[in-house]
Amino acid sequence: MQQSIYLDLARSGHRAPIGTHLVLHTRKNADTLIFDGPLLGGVVVETADRFQTPLAIPLMDLTLEKAALLGALGVDPSGVDAFHFEQPPADPGSLKVTPRMQATCDAIHHVASKTSLVPIGMGIGPFSLMTKLVKDPITPVFLAGSGMSPEEEPEVGVIERCLEIGTELILSYLALQADAGAKAIIVCEPAANLVYFSPNQLDESFEIFDRYVMEPMRRIKSLLDQKGVDLIFHDCGELTNEMVSRFSTLDTAMMSLGCSRCLWDDAALVSKSTVLYGNLPTKRFYSPQLTVQEVESLSVELLDKMRATGHPFILGSECDVLSVPGSEEQILSKVNAFMNAGICNLQAC
Amino acid sequence: MSTLENLSLAVEKGKRVDAKQLTQTLLDEGMKPLDIVEKGLVPGMSAIGEKFKNNEVFVPEMLIAARAMKEAMSLLDPLLAKAGITPKHTVVIGTVQGDLHDIGKNLVAMMLKGANFGIVDLGTNVPHEKFAAAVKEHNASVLALSALLTTTMPAMRGTVEVVRAAGLNDVKIMIGGAPITQDFATEIGADGYSSDAASAVDVALRLLGEVK
Repeated sequence: MQQSIYLDLARSGHRAPIGTHLVLHTRKNADTLIFDGPLLGGVVVETADRFQTPLAIPLMDLTLEKAALLGALGVDPSGVDAFHFEQPPADPGSLKVTPRMQATCDAIHHVASKTSLVPIGMGIGPFSLMTKLVKDPITPVFLAGSGMSPEEEPEVGVIERCLEIGTELILSYLALQADAGAKAIIVCEPAANLVYFSPNQLDESFEIFDRYVMEPMRRIKSLLDQKGVDLIFHDCGELTNEMVSRFSTLDTAMMSLGCSRCLWDDAALVSKSTVLYGNLPTKRFYSPQLTVQEVESLSVELLDKMRATGHPFILGSECDVLSVPGSEEQILSKVNAFMNAGICNLQAC
Repeated sequence: MSTLENLSLAVEKGKRVDAKQLTQTLLDEGMKPLDIVEKGLVPGMSAIGEKFKNNEVFVPEMLIAARAMKEAMSLLDPLLAKAGITPKHTVVIGTVQGDLHDIGKNLVAMMLKGANFGIVDLGTNVPHEKFAAAVKEHNASVLALSALLTTTMPAMRGTVEVVRAAGLNDVKIMIGGAPITQDFATEIGADGYSSDAASAVDVALRLLGEVK
């Protein structure tokens, strides 16, 4: 376990974006490169070098697990994106590693064997995967939260089966990444938010959130503990305080939250052994309406307020910094702005 | 409370069995299907939409309400079609090319349907030309485009350009989605922007000169 690394980085005022997508898309062969582990690992290393971080953060592509699951169930690859279960799916059997998954593992191995960076893995969380497997996941989650059983509402049975087989697949994939050399794994649960869970319903009981989100996450945490791998939890969705408090019980090495959260308030909800990460509004970095000066100002405010809380903190992006065609320079200028904001230029001083 | 008021409440509360039963009761009492839609279902959806805008209810409650309305409409749609009654305005809606997200788009479609717009839902990952063809085919008053990803926002610009290049200058184009802003809408030549599903109804009515 590397917990002290993240705490030390936080103490040193470290900052870093989740920027591999940005760097990947500077390559003309980005579409083929993602299938080649060593080359993909090279991009991860280049990203870490460019942003001067020891954290080898991989591509945040949350489509791999759905593709693997559906592939195992015989769905044609060309139809995977739009496919949704209408009946409880069959047992997909043990994980059939897709070329993209293999490349991700090989990239981790590349980082682990060729560099001194912290090799980090990536995966979607079980609840978020489930939401990709059915056309409307929100209604059955609400129905289940209202006490409806699969017998009363078949839609509930479909999502519970998807959650069950999805969790097993994710556990297998995360184990592979750990075996490839990952020292930490980012598990992304962006759908565990108040779009999918009504705060009104949660005011009455958190049972459905605990059952659908927290229990699978606890299984992941247990697996990673057994493997000696740190859990980095990511959720850029809109959250309630109670959701953040629950995530904190996972005792994660880092917690990465979206820009809808005030991290300086969340510091009171999260254990001091968990480094808070984020949460600049990188989804809006493409827009000229968000200026470099505003990004600098937001960064300085965040740094100041987090310093005041005394909570370990790493300044970064609220999510993957996506490369938007035609807006690459705009985005990079803002990444550079937060990487340098508030740092005294020796010549200027 | 009258049966109509009970129907509105059943929709608002998402009670689909009640909504269907009350609709059947009203039909049995001789009420015209269009009156049931306009005086029973639309007010129910409007009420839940207002609560959504005020953060009193959230997306799940909206979907449950829409589900109740859909149940009631399963009785009314065949009767409306038989009588040749169609909504005054048709909206073509879809998620732009390259983007597979549909929750936001579905919510907007649901709210517009709840306000008695005709809906032609093209789904997700819709090519520019398909939008243009659907607007033409259905003589749509409004084209609603959705995108969740910053990476797929440029496709909105492409769709606007293709629709206008096809000479479809009367259709009002409105856009929305997590990364979208009014500035972006203005920049790409869209007529309107909505920050959430409930407000989309107001935007559509405003664009059509039928301010609520």
